[in-house]
Amino acid sequence: MKRWMDWLDEKRDTIGEKLSKKEMKLPIDIVTGIFFLLLGAVILLIMPKQVPVSDSDVINGQAFPTLLMAVMMICSGVVLAKELYNIFVKKMPPAMKNINLLVEVKALEILAILLLTYVICRVTDLFVAGAIFCSLAFLIYFRCRKLSYYAITLTVAVLIWIAFRFGLNVNF
Amino acid sequence: MLEYIGPALQHLFTVENFLWINLGVFIGSVFAAVPGLTVILCVILFLPFTYKMTAIPGMMFLLGIYCAGGYGGSVSAILINTPGTPHAATTMMDGHPLSQKGRTKAALKIALYASTFGGIFSALMLLFLGPQVAEIAAQLGTAEYFMVCVFGLTIIAGVSGKSMIKGVIAACIGLLISCIGADPMTSYDRFTFGIPRLYLGLDLAICLIGLFALVEILAKAEKKPGPLLLDTKKMNDDGKITKEEYKRMLRPTLLSSLIGVMVGIVPGTGASEASWFSYDRAKAMSKHKEEFGHGSVEGIAAAEAANNAVTGATLIPLLTMGIPGDGTVAIMLSALMINGLNPGLSLFTTQGDIMYAIMIGLIFVNLFMLFQGSFLTKLFAKVVSIPQEILTPIIVLFCFAGAYSVNKNYFDVGVALIFAVVAWLLRKLDMPPVPILLGMVLGNMTETNFRRALLISNGSPAIFVSSIYCIIFVVLIVLAVATLIRSKMKEAKAEGKK
Repeated sequence: MKRWMDWLDEKRDTIGEKLSKKEMKLPIDIVTGIFFLLLGAVILLIMPKQVPVSDSDVINGQAFPTLLMAVMMICSGVVLAKELYNIFVKKMPPAMKNINLLVEVKALEILAILLLTYVICRVTDLFVAGAIFCSLAFLIYFRCRKLSYYAITLTVAVLIWIAFRFGLNVNF
Repeated sequence: MLEYIGPALQHLFTVENFLWINLGVFIGSVFAAVPGLTVILCVILFLPFTYKMTAIPGMMFLLGIYCAGGYGGSVSAILINTPGTPHAATTMMDGHPLSQKGRTKAALKIALYASTFGGIFSALMLLFLGPQVAEIAAQLGTAEYFMVCVFGLTIIAGVSGKSMIKGVIAACIGLLISCIGADPMTSYDRFTFGIPRLYLGLDLAICLIGLFALVEILAKAEKKPGPLLLDTKKMNDDGKITKEEYKRMLRPTLLSSLIGVMVGIVPGTGASEASWFSYDRAKAMSKHKEEFGHGSVEGIAAAEAANNAVTGATLIPLLTMGIPGDGTVAIMLSALMINGLNPGLSLFTTQGDIMYAIMIGLIFVNLFMLFQGSFLTKLFAKVVSIPQEILTPIIVLFCFAGAYSVNKNYFDVGVALIFAVVAWLLRKLDMPPVPILLGMVLGNMTETNFRRALLISNGSPAIFVSSIYCIIFVVLIVLAVATLIRSKMKEAKAEGKK
């Protein structure tokens, strides 16, 4: 077990070292403006199919979401216009955000743990099985070597299941 | 009012209620003391536990977490110069320097006493102002209610992030999410994409678990888990506060409590705004300005009194109009409504005994906070040192169990996970999450009143400026937007100079 964990940590270190140097610069306000402009347009496009209305309605169910999307698209337009004005008229560099690949890969690892926990709970219909997996997976993710931490976390995981199952009558 | 006090005290004075208050205060203090764990996260995680309780113990438990969170954040701010909660950043300005002078216990004591004073002052304001505001709120029509919602959303959009426009976009997203499910007026399904489970809409608690709790787990990717060592040996001073210091604390504590109440009562604002504003005021009015930033007792007292004075005040718009004063009490609305307590004047008349029990209970929450803070602060600091390796899976399991227990199905856990991913992506775009929360909470009320008002006026938007209350709110919205834009421009200028 110890050897396997050493091997895993070594692999993660090697990959981590490479990824930590890779950074992506994101023109944040331009991306935000375009993304929400497109999102608003898509919602407006699907609105007739997703929100049925009756001809007799004076103010129908589409009125409020349409107003919201209009406000959102105007705001996105303002964000975009402000940034383009800064770039082309004021000759300022665009607002950038650094996206570190190592951070994103780590976030994906955590998301994978969460998704696997969800799948295990759903497939087995036994929350405690997912809880045990989740505890072990996070301890390995954090490179924990202390046996006492494993014992404490697993005990608490089972206790949480007991509290919800028998204390709150949640049948899972 | 007086006719409700007797029955309210009978409801309140039970062993069960006092146990829940103390448990809430303990959990809130510990959670708030851990940097990165917020009070809002704590309330979300423990909300499912209140589903099985009746209104009073459920609310007492959540209020215990909420109020103690105000003080708990100052523990790590004073001890390790890292604020446990965002509003504790103000306390840190003078709390940590005082601790470095060898007066850690005294700094903690000042924070505790000021917090308790602010909290009790706020609870009394709630007790006396709540019913009066409810009576005024009962006179508001649909157009006025819509304007109140727009006002709340404008404020929260303005104060939540760096950009007000991004805050407005986030509020629109929250309002749009609230449109999912049956149309509140015609019952046609909207944005359900053929998924029958979406017909009833998305449950607020489930979305919040993803939006505020699970996203923090994903954010662990950004930080290296280091041990959080709150050195309790630092608390070995006698903690003595001199008479002179008590005298100097009095004025900023009183003034900050008043500021906290005034800020808290405005829908959408919160403890951070109240703390910074009070701190600035206290500094401007102090005879010892030079001490600010170097361990001023006035600075600590002002910041702490203000952030706890917000707690009762935020409940005033919540209980009277259903409009939460800040993000955390927005979640408490679920605990109220699940027990059939719908905000409004009727809450103070037909269910006056329960309402008064909750409002009086808030005073006891603060007293128990004082009691626990006086004797257990060392213990809080020790519990806070739980390693991240153990804490992280425990939070995840609480999130999963909490999401499942709302409707007892795994579909909701999936929804919480989707919201976590969406929140992570929004974080990358610097979009603040709190306006989304307020949008989701106010969505139904905003839309229903918007459509009803237009129905009454036959589609004419002139109804939104037709009454004196409407005009007052329009003026307030314009003033708020102008003030917020001005302050953002000042901030941007100051940043540019740096």
